[in-house]
Amino acid sequence: MLNHAKTGYCGVHSLKYSDKSVSENHVLDLLNVAVWAPNDGLREPWRFIFMGPGSTDIMRGLQEQAPAYLVLVVKEEHDLHKREEDFAATCCLMQNFRLLARENNLHVRMTMNDWIYDRTCAGRLGVQKDERIVAVLEMGYLEPTVEPAAAGNMPDLTFELL
Amino acid sequence: MDFMKTIQERRSIRRFRSSPVDPELVFTLLREAQQLYSSGEAAAFRCVYAGTPDSRERLAACMLEPMVKNRLVKWLPEKVRDFVRKRVTDIPGHLAVIAVTGPDRRESDLNYAAVCGIMQNFQLVAWQRRLGVLWDTEPMIQSKELFDLFQMKPEERLVGIFHLGFFDKMPKARARTRAEKKWTVLSGGGG
Repeated sequence: MLNHAKTGYCGVHSLKYSDKSVSENHVLDLLNVAVWAPNDGLREPWRFIFMGPGSTDIMRGLQEQAPAYLVLVVKEEHDLHKREEDFAATCCLMQNFRLLARENNLHVRMTMNDWIYDRTCAGRLGVQKDERIVAVLEMGYLEPTVEPAAAGNMPDLTFELL
Repeated sequence: MDFMKTIQERRSIRRFRSSPVDPELVFTLLREAQQLYSSGEAAAFRCVYAGTPDSRERLAACMLEPMVKNRLVKWLPEKVRDFVRKRVTDIPGHLAVIAVTGPDRRESDLNYAAVCGIMQNFQLVAWQRRLGVLWDTEPMIQSKELFDLFQMKPEERLVGIFHLGFFDKMPKARARTRAEKKWTVLSGGGG
């Protein structure tokens, strides 16, 4: 059983972003560390689409409101096995980015909404036929008054010995 | 924890020392990796660890079976088979990570992404303890023999096998492309 649907983290939430804008340079600085993710054959299959101050309206109706968005795009190889490796590598990069953002008090909400699977929708952002969106990161700085979310219960961990 | 440093310093390790990797340590690192992943985004996965000589032999045998069955490879000299077998049995630990697939593509992707995130966390916390990791994604591991060995159910998929061990030599860095070269900024619709 998957737990995502139950936790509903992709659903309604109540984040309060501050007015502080997310600078392109700051995101690039974090990404330049995040690109040290392991990736097969050093293909570095990812690329990034950024929407910051003045352009966030592009995401209206598709994403929750946020001061900035980062779209993670992966190139899709013909070879299905490579395709899977590249998706995994981009997920590693994304995880690096989230860890770094957390260290820098930049709040990141990872989303994989249904529209990212819609070619026409993705195409409007310039995503090519041989590419796909892995995830959209909503980013911003939180109001200082907001309490950090309480840590959830420790999830199960199944660890078997062969 | 200083992730800036760890993320940039981490390397995939291919040459391991022979000293054993305690399952307790592997479990602790997995826990840390899981905790580092954002709460509220639980991932559905399980792990199988082969860290004893006997379990490594069984793993090696299963890895070799498709090769032996394959007619083309049958002609390979014993030496080559031994090389492959030894490669598996000499590495102190092998951790198979198995993810659950969801009812649709989106849910499967979400869970797969979460499991990959946890696996990246594992590589980072392992690096902080000087434990080397190689994330094996070779097509060779996607075999019926291995699926049987790990008792995989139809709705499960093998994300990868981590080869684990301590190491002496740190491999050189392979430079990465700057993010600026893969960067597009979208401007507003004029509204």
